Amino acid sequence: MMKLEDYKVVFASLGLIGVLLFASPTLGLFLHLPGGEKFSEFWLLGPGHMAEAYPFEVRAGENYMVYVGVGNHMGSSAYYLVYVKFRNQTEPLPNATAETPSPLLPLFTYKIFLEDGGTWEQPLNFSFHDVSFKDDRCLVGNLTVNGITLNVGKPALWDSENKGYFYQLFLELWIYDEASRDFHFHNRFVSIWLNMTTPI
Amino acid sequence: MPFNAVASDEASLVISEANNKLKMAFEAVLDAEKAGANVSDLIIQLNSAGVLLAEAENAYRVGVFSEAVSKAEECSMLADGVMGEALQLRDSAIVNAQTVFWHNLMFSIFEGAAFLFVIFFVWGWFRRVYVKRIVNMKPEVVSDDEA
Repeated sequence: MMKLEDYKVVFASLGLIGVLLFASPTLGLFLHLPGGEKFSEFWLLGPGHMAEAYPFEVRAGENYMVYVGVGNHMGSSAYYLVYVKFRNQTEPLPNATAETPSPLLPLFTYKIFLEDGGTWEQPLNFSFHDVSFKDDRCLVGNLTVNGITLNVGKPALWDSENKGYFYQLFLELWIYDEASRDFHFHNRFVSIWLNMTTPI
Repeated sequence: MPFNAVASDEASLVISEANNKLKMAFEAVLDAEKAGANVSDLIIQLNSAGVLLAEAENAYRVGVFSEAVSKAEECSMLADGVMGEALQLRDSAIVNAQTVFWHNLMFSIFEGAAFLFVIFFVWGWFRRVYVKRIVNMKPEVVSDDEA
């Protein structure tokens, strides 16, 4: 049989648990449990909204489309920039190890505001114009991105190993940092390789 | 050429101003969100302003400065509106949070005190029953005889 002192401990414990339960609505305003991992999603899908059938063999005058998307899991609303950039094989990509963006200038910018848990997706239409081939060199004169035509004047040399004039369309994700009041590269980028071919 | 240079400078200035206003509007929305406000509508408006600013920057890149200026100005106006709404939302969210805090605090104090009172009452009753039961128990005599 339990002693009276033992029952006293049981009652005191019940009292303490009850007080904590009744105080929990107030304590909940001050105590915050650590949330999950904070991250952003960044994706590029083909024209069928699938990770397939990406444009590869491209030529001047034809329109191509991919879908670009961003997902926010940063724990609060976020302000993103997506920079669309275009390079040949000799120009630098972003450096994922050093977390630095490509120094190339953006051709097109998306500005996106997302609540925590929100996603955004938009089509990215592009086409090439004034493309010329001479000897073992290809020159892309103009690139149109979402209706905006820019003079890029981008050369590419014939890649004898992979047999093609290769370019890369890539997109960088940047995020607004409230502390520094500026955007910084979010160390995420997506890209597609393009092989420029002669018109039929 | 001089006309273009002036237009370019002006467009650059207006775009820069719109950029700053959009950043400030976003910070105001973040503050409102941290205060507990629902900012879904403001995020939609910020996206509209962001589209305008992106269009202004894209127009600037291709040298269509008049369009760049008009889009950037439109963006600034929208950003100003968002900032005003965000500040109002933040203030009302703070008032709501204070109301909720006092409500919860009163609940915790009164309900906690009532619970302790009940526990104390039950404990008193239990102790009396326990002691009464112990007193009413019959003593058992154990023999000391060796086996």
